[in-house]
Amino acid sequence: MSESFGDLAHVIATPRPRRGRRRRSLPPFLVLAALVPTVLIALPIVYVLIRSADAGWSGIADELFRQRTLMLFWNTSVLTFSVTILALLIGVAGAWCTERSDLPGRALWRILFCLPLAMPAFVASFAWKSIGPAFQGLPGAILILSMESFPLVFLPVAAALRSMDPGPEEVSRSLGQGPRATFLKVIVPRALPAAGGGALLVTAHMLSEFGALSLLRVQTLTTAIFQQYELQFDNASAAVLSAMLMLFCLPVAFGEIYLRGSQRRDKVGRSAVRGRRLAQLGVWTLPTLAFFALIAVISLGVPFGRLGYWLLRGVSAGRGLEAIGPALWGSLSLAIPGTFVTTLVALPLVLVALRGGGRIARLAERLPYVVHGLPGLVVALALVYASIRLLPAVYQTRAVLFAAYAILFMPLAQSALRASAELVSPEMEDVARTLGRGAFAAFVSVTLPALAPGFGAGLALVALELMRELTATLILAPTGVATLATEVWSLTSDGAYAAAAPFAAALVLISGIPVYVFTLRTLDPRGRRVRKSPQRS
Amino acid sequence: MYPATRRAFLRGAALGGAALIGGPALVTGGVRPARAAGATLAVYNGQHRPPVEALIAAFSAATGIDVSVRHGSSAQLASQLIEEGDHSPADLFWSEESPSLFALAEKGLLAPLQADTLAAVPAEYSAKDGTWIGATARCRVVVYNKAAIDPKTLPASVLDFASEAYADKVAFAPASGAFQQQIMAVMILKGRDTALSWLKGLKRYGRVYNSDSAAVEAVEGGDIPIALSNNYYWHALAREIGADDVQSAIYNIGHGDPGTLITVSGAGVLKTASNAEAAQRFVAYMVSAEGQAAIVGAIAEYPLRPGVVSPFPLTPFETLDPAPVTPNQLGDAEAALALLREAELA
Repeated sequence: MSESFGDLAHVIATPRPRRGRRRRSLPPFLVLAALVPTVLIALPIVYVLIRSADAGWSGIADELFRQRTLMLFWNTSVLTFSVTILALLIGVAGAWCTERSDLPGRALWRILFCLPLAMPAFVASFAWKSIGPAFQGLPGAILILSMESFPLVFLPVAAALRSMDPGPEEVSRSLGQGPRATFLKVIVPRALPAAGGGALLVTAHMLSEFGALSLLRVQTLTTAIFQQYELQFDNASAAVLSAMLMLFCLPVAFGEIYLRGSQRRDKVGRSAVRGRRLAQLGVWTLPTLAFFALIAVISLGVPFGRLGYWLLRGVSAGRGLEAIGPALWGSLSLAIPGTFVTTLVALPLVLVALRGGGRIARLAERLPYVVHGLPGLVVALALVYASIRLLPAVYQTRAVLFAAYAILFMPLAQSALRASAELVSPEMEDVARTLGRGAFAAFVSVTLPALAPGFGAGLALVALELMRELTATLILAPTGVATLATEVWSLTSDGAYAAAAPFAAALVLISGIPVYVFTLRTLDPRGRRVRKSPQRS
Repeated sequence: MYPATRRAFLRGAALGGAALIGGPALVTGGVRPARAAGATLAVYNGQHRPPVEALIAAFSAATGIDVSVRHGSSAQLASQLIEEGDHSPADLFWSEESPSLFALAEKGLLAPLQADTLAAVPAEYSAKDGTWIGATARCRVVVYNKAAIDPKTLPASVLDFASEAYADKVAFAPASGAFQQQIMAVMILKGRDTALSWLKGLKRYGRVYNSDSAAVEAVEGGDIPIALSNNYYWHALAREIGADDVQSAIYNIGHGDPGTLITVSGAGVLKTASNAEAAQRFVAYMVSAEGQAAIVGAIAEYPLRPGVVSPFPLTPFETLDPAPVTPNQLGDAEAALALLREAELA
């Protein structure tokens, strides 16, 4: 089935662990290794709790029951919910039309529906904001952010539809069900985990979004946290708001596991993905094309057009152009190792939880999802606090920044790893051990190689996020290190849009690489099918 | 069971990953804090980048001292410096706003500056205890859209904007440090109650923007007719767009009203600075004739050293007639935060 997207957002139908996956004793090195991510994830949580405690109980209560907090709570809920729903609708419609209908130009639409991923939301928002006030405020933000985030739903659903076994659909049709009933009763339930996983990613993004929302003048818990830290040096009320935001993330953390649990769909054998008839759009062809064209204009045309406009105009054009090389190098030298570190740190957590580590292990494995919705600022401040007190020697080194990246984006790596790891049976390690390998050697020579090719999409997604990461990078990067994202930020905050444009363009272009890998890995799951075969043998 | 190529792939990936992690570390001198870099002066900068880059280029050329800069917002860097305490790798803090410097001085983190450095600018713009110095002055102004507003109809006090007559017409940025200083000025000159009802009125009738520059851009774009801002945001915009095409203009209220308020950007040397001597030289250079010329050539702020002239078409400093409030009176602006919270703006 659609293990392809399991690569990316963890949600796909993966064969359930077989009966044989009983509790077994975990190798000690794995448990020790799993302590690293657990401690890292605990840092921001402890920091938020310590700082909230500074406010005292009455302070916390005052903060919670302010009129303003209610407003922030409302805005955050409306924005997150609406964007998730819209992204879901557009993503699913786009996926169905490009995979299952006779829509003209499907290959082109597929590309157009993936490209918004390369456009950072703050760049898109800037473009829209400059058009006029009509696009500011909550309705505008919902429109713009939906348009930039639907690919996170589109891709996994398209992959699921593509790799779905046509058997049940054929059975449904042969039993006299119409195409609509077949869609609702057969296709939708099986695409649901993919769509749900994508939607949860969108939800987490909305909870932590700052740049785009502050440009569009929408106040949410996250923008308020930034404002509080901007207003006051030692801020307890920001901590209270952060704690609230973590509560918002709880449904995301457990929704993910719920979706995973709902995938227990047995199937007999692995059927080939054979050709299937495409649905005829008929009279709906033109309206559909018009609708998709509108989406492409909104999600791509306006942001790219505006970027091009600033590239050509304004006296600050060309200012600081010599910095583009170092900034590009800065982005790559942080994002690529950051991706590997994040993945390595996440690995033991996933394996321990998967191999029967018990309730504590499963809880530890969920914590990163709770922290995932926190703004980078809070995580960065927690690391400043902790590293200065506990390990001053590493302060302002890359090590601390990589730790922040791991804390912020671990769930993306976890999901990818988990989807791969579920397919590797622990018995194979046992076999290696009976053949004389030690626990660690067996792990390195059997399990690790089996995992490696499976998580390309997950890695690409982490790399994409790291290239855009702004606040943690600003606060924690070694002095003098700039990235494309930090350059865009500082130039636009000086109003030098023309000067910022080349950096923004470079950021979009370089983001194209992970987007390409992500798309390819998601839509073309061949790598996986090859890997699965040894298991069946 | 698994093809050997997979193991080879993994080995390759691991080596590649190690190289990518190790490579940059080697280039930048490995996992060592910035202070270990030795003679390089470490500056934490909250001021806008163009003047900072201009001054550093001039300073390094004049003295041969290398400077590394960490950019951020003033308030954020100040909180970072407080958090860092004795372990701070910073030698010098250049702040966009005096309250951030004031807060660091209150926490005892700043070392006294040299007397002849302090003497270069009028004493009222620097710390009373000589721990930080004002380098440039900026002015709170009203920016208006020329098509929508006749400047003759603009009110005599910034307090008048918080009324129904200006419903949906005034953009302001509560998170802006300069706006908080303006609140302080209203409070000092007119009392706390007036300041609070002014804020409540602005919340009710005005429109909140994320930053002063966003508010000015909104006026320029015709989204809203009036903005409360710092003068240089308008000048930066006018320079970017071109003086002939610009749709907005600056209005100075004057006659001692808090609508025209002088705020300063400045710098202080950290007590824990490992390059204290270089840092003191840097501050001295900041307020030298050359240094001031380099700074005000890159941003539309007023030089505080007498005799230096800005190339920007600024309203002459002598004709501003600003509110009679000094940076020392504004303090760390904590009281403004309490008011903002009371007015539900923060």
